[in-house]
Amino acid sequence: MATRQVKISQNYETIAWKWMRYSAILLIPLVFGHVLLQDVIVGVYEINADYVARRLGTWFFQAYDIALLGFAFAHGVNGLRQVLRDFIHNPKTFRLVSIALFIFWAAITAYGGIAIVMAVNAKLASL
Amino acid sequence: MQVTIDVFRFDPEKDQKPHFDQFVVEAEPVDRVLDLLEKIKDYHDGSLTFRRSCAHGVCGSDAMRINGVNRLACKVLVQDVGTRIKVEPILGLKVKRDLIVDMEPFFDHYKSVLPYFINDEAPPEKERLQSPEARERFDDTTKCILCAACTTSCPSFWSDSAYVGPAAIVNAHRFIFDDRDQGAAQRLEILNQQMGVWRCRTAFNCTEACPRDIHITQAIAEVKKAITSGKLD
Ligand code: FES
Repeated sequence: MATRQVKISQNYETIAWKWMRYSAILLIPLVFGHVLLQDVIVGVYEINADYVARRLGTWFFQAYDIALLGFAFAHGVNGLRQVLRDFIHNPKTFRLVSIALFIFWAAITAYGGIAIVMAVNAKLASL
Repeated sequence: MQVTIDVFRFDPEKDQKPHFDQFVVEAEPVDRVLDLLEKIKDYHDGSLTFRRSCAHGVCGSDAMRINGVNRLACKVLVQDVGTRIKVEPILGLKVKRDLIVDMEPFFDHYKSVLPYFINDEAPPEKERLQSPEARERFDDTTKCILCAACTTSCPSFWSDSAYVGPAAIVNAHRFIFDDRDQGAAQRLEILNQQMGVWRCRTAFNCTEACPRDIHITQAIAEVKKAITSGKLD
């Protein structure tokens, strides 16, 4: 039996839904890697400012942590958006809320990203 | 045995707000809740209003909340729910009177997904043949009797009745995956809107509520997959 195919235009909802799934798949290795490193390999009692500065002094972990922050936070904010949809029935208001949430996500992620890169470089310079 | 049954009552011509009436009726363990309602109507209070037609789980007219769960009154036995029974109308649709709700919005959603065979090609001389496997693909969703037990158990539908609801998606599924039909793309476009399948949060209430044991959440997931992948098998 040949597979029947249809062409369905992808809209914002389709993308948001896919995003939830793909970001979740990506989050699994990111989060488990993080937990494994921090809690098992290093151990919570060994984590101090120096350790964090050294860890984040590498490009790899800067990228890793920014990705972890961005994906986890986007996943959560999109979830929040879904929950809010239950209470906001006006499509226009909901569009505005969605845009506001996107800006919120982008701002916090950018702020976190800057903190990870800049603050660590400052700390390293002082070591 | 004696059964105490609390029935939701609302008469828009007399009542400001709904209330419950309590009836004590004689019943056999194998009586159905529908039998009790009939008994109340015949011997206690002739004004009690509810829908029923086939009384055998086929027509889908007597979906109601029995002890908090959406069921068909004609399929629930007294022995399965005990001697204290509470009967209420299904949630999310406007109550017209007692256990009767306005089904119009429900059927509007049903109609919106084009729940009929679409194929503009000239029919063959005899019939459009289909292999048993191809028929099997949508067998489960042919079982729907449009009782609305699923849609009115869905939290997404409670929060916004603009959501097309599980029953409409089930009936779209029945035609989307029928290889003789050509309207799949049209239906999937409709269900790809915000008030379509994306309002489903896989709460599984619909699957539990379905008196025909249709795997509704799975059917919805298959429609989501068809939208994202463009593949119909
Ligand atoms: S009366 Fe027809 S399904 Fe119950």
